[in-house]
Amino acid sequence: MECDNFKADVSDKASLQRGLSTYMNYCYGCHSLKYSRYKRVAEDLLIPLEMYENNLIYDGSKIGELMEISLTKEDAIEWLGAYPPDLTLEARLRRPDWIYTYLRNYYPDSSRPYGVNNRVYQNVNMPHVLEDMQNNLSEIQYDQVIYDLTNFMTYVADPSAEQRKRIGTYVLLFLIIFTAFAYMTYREFKKDLK
Amino acid sequence: MSENTIGKKSLEWVDSRFPVVDLFERHLSKYYSPSNINIWYLFGFLLLIVLVMQILTGLWLMMNYTNTAEGAFSSIEYIMRDVDYGWLIRYMHAGGASAFFALIYLHMFRGMMYGSYQKPRELIWVGGWFVYVLLCAEGFTGYVLPWGQMSFWAAQVIISLVGSIPYFGEDLAIWIRGDYIVSGITLSRLFAFHVVLLPILIIAVVFFHILALHEIGSNNPDGIDVKKHTDQDGVPLDAKPFFPYDITHDFYALGVFLIIFCSVIFFFPEGGGYIIEYVNYEPANPLSTPAHIVPSWYYTPFYAMLRAIDFPLFGLTAKFLGFVVMAAGIAIFAALPWLDRSPVKSIKYKGIYSKAFLAGFVISFFVLAYLGSVPPTETKNMLAKVFTFIYFAYFLLMPIYTKFEKCKPVPERVGDPA
Repeated sequence: MECDNFKADVSDKASLQRGLSTYMNYCYGCHSLKYSRYKRVAEDLLIPLEMYENNLIYDGSKIGELMEISLTKEDAIEWLGAYPPDLTLEARLRRPDWIYTYLRNYYPDSSRPYGVNNRVYQNVNMPHVLEDMQNNLSEIQYDQVIYDLTNFMTYVADPSAEQRKRIGTYVLLFLIIFTAFAYMTYREFKKDLK
Repeated sequence: MSENTIGKKSLEWVDSRFPVVDLFERHLSKYYSPSNINIWYLFGFLLLIVLVMQILTGLWLMMNYTNTAEGAFSSIEYIMRDVDYGWLIRYMHAGGASAFFALIYLHMFRGMMYGSYQKPRELIWVGGWFVYVLLCAEGFTGYVLPWGQMSFWAAQVIISLVGSIPYFGEDLAIWIRGDYIVSGITLSRLFAFHVVLLPILIIAVVFFHILALHEIGSNNPDGIDVKKHTDQDGVPLDAKPFFPYDITHDFYALGVFLIIFCSVIFFFPEGGGYIIEYVNYEPANPLSTPAHIVPSWYYTPFYAMLRAIDFPLFGLTAKFLGFVVMAAGIAIFAALPWLDRSPVKSIKYKGIYSKAFLAGFVISFFVLAYLGSVPPTETKNMLAKVFTFIYFAYFLLMPIYTKFEKCKPVPERVGDPA
């Protein structure tokens, strides 16, 4: 199926914070973010380090450490039949549109082990972990939760995006000035040749 | 004016020990380029800048990269996240690779258009072609290093082509990989090629290329020999010194190039999946083949040729024949100086057949580039065969059509009516 359109806004820190909270409470048990560090996320999302440490680190890790999970590969394969992939780069791999659509397209299917199937990812192994939430919230509210979660995953896949665009703007301004001067120098010398 | 004296004395001191003034004059201030060269003559300078950029960014990437199957993928993410401005260095390097190929294709096309490969510039052309071949190897080895899914499977596909060579192919492939499949052993040797052997060769051949060029001088869009008409000091009349006239033009071009380049690396660093393929954000997994294995955009014309040959012939497998055709597609550029029998250089004065075949070549290059980047179908495979044929027709029929077509007379001097 065609993916729904998703437009990330990684400058919306409130949305990223809500997305982080959903991720840490519903996804992080199985899906690590092992290329990212707690501290970087806390700083980028404007969360005080102490508050972050007290509320969002569950295994006593130091705040400078990578966001790894306690679930081991052996246990996961025994309990779930597969090892849940790391999701740090999921938004770059599958694109945010896909994640946004995927998480909103679970449907009941009694032929599957967890009683659910997915329209985007046929016969997916993952249970619908947000099922309770989806049942208790209105469609608009649920879409907002998934928007924030996807927005957070977009951020964590490419945490330098904001800095990159900010610096890029200055670089381009400089280059336009440089090119203007280079052009004038070129034109001045070209006059000799006439 | 004591500084001036010190400056002058220092220069004399150095100059009597190393020919700095002579080199400056010979290669810059008294190196003449034709007065009619146009924007197609800017790409050589830009290529040199990109080469320097790739070497410098590559050096900094190497400081934090791990060349093992276990560590490669996460070391790239370490560079992207934990190294200060690591993301910038990596995007410059990855984007630089694409820029390198875009510029070298334009640079090669200029030579084909204006007959720059013709006598007496055969060695300049062959040297440049060799840089291109080395660059293809450099691009391929570099692509494997992030050790993502596409890195792994591209390496697997390309090295397995060697395995299609009759008799000793399989043994040769194992020797190249150092293993039965692409593995950490392969990764670390490709890393060694990428950072040591190939860059040294590229720098050496580029040096040769420029030295040969400075011996003969640039061709020009009219293919006029500007050295035929000189003043009493032997300075060509229809020419200008490289310094300061061309260098100022080159810097202006550099500004324009950097605006385009920086717009890409700062705002679209993945280039829509063409600079960094999305599939490569998944770590290499020998047990799971991606749905579509696509090479980088700059190899897709040759990949299309490889796939176009889907029939065995004379007891040789389709895979081996495809490999031969693909390699021939790259190798045949080197033969251009001896395929072209035309009395004139530039396409401006060549006949209608040269123009038609060159147009056919350009169209087939783009069509094949497209076909090599999409999953194959029956129709697309048929198209790939037709355009592979047109691509080779440009080269292989050249001795015939350049010899018999009617050319226009070339003006004696720049600015003369044709």
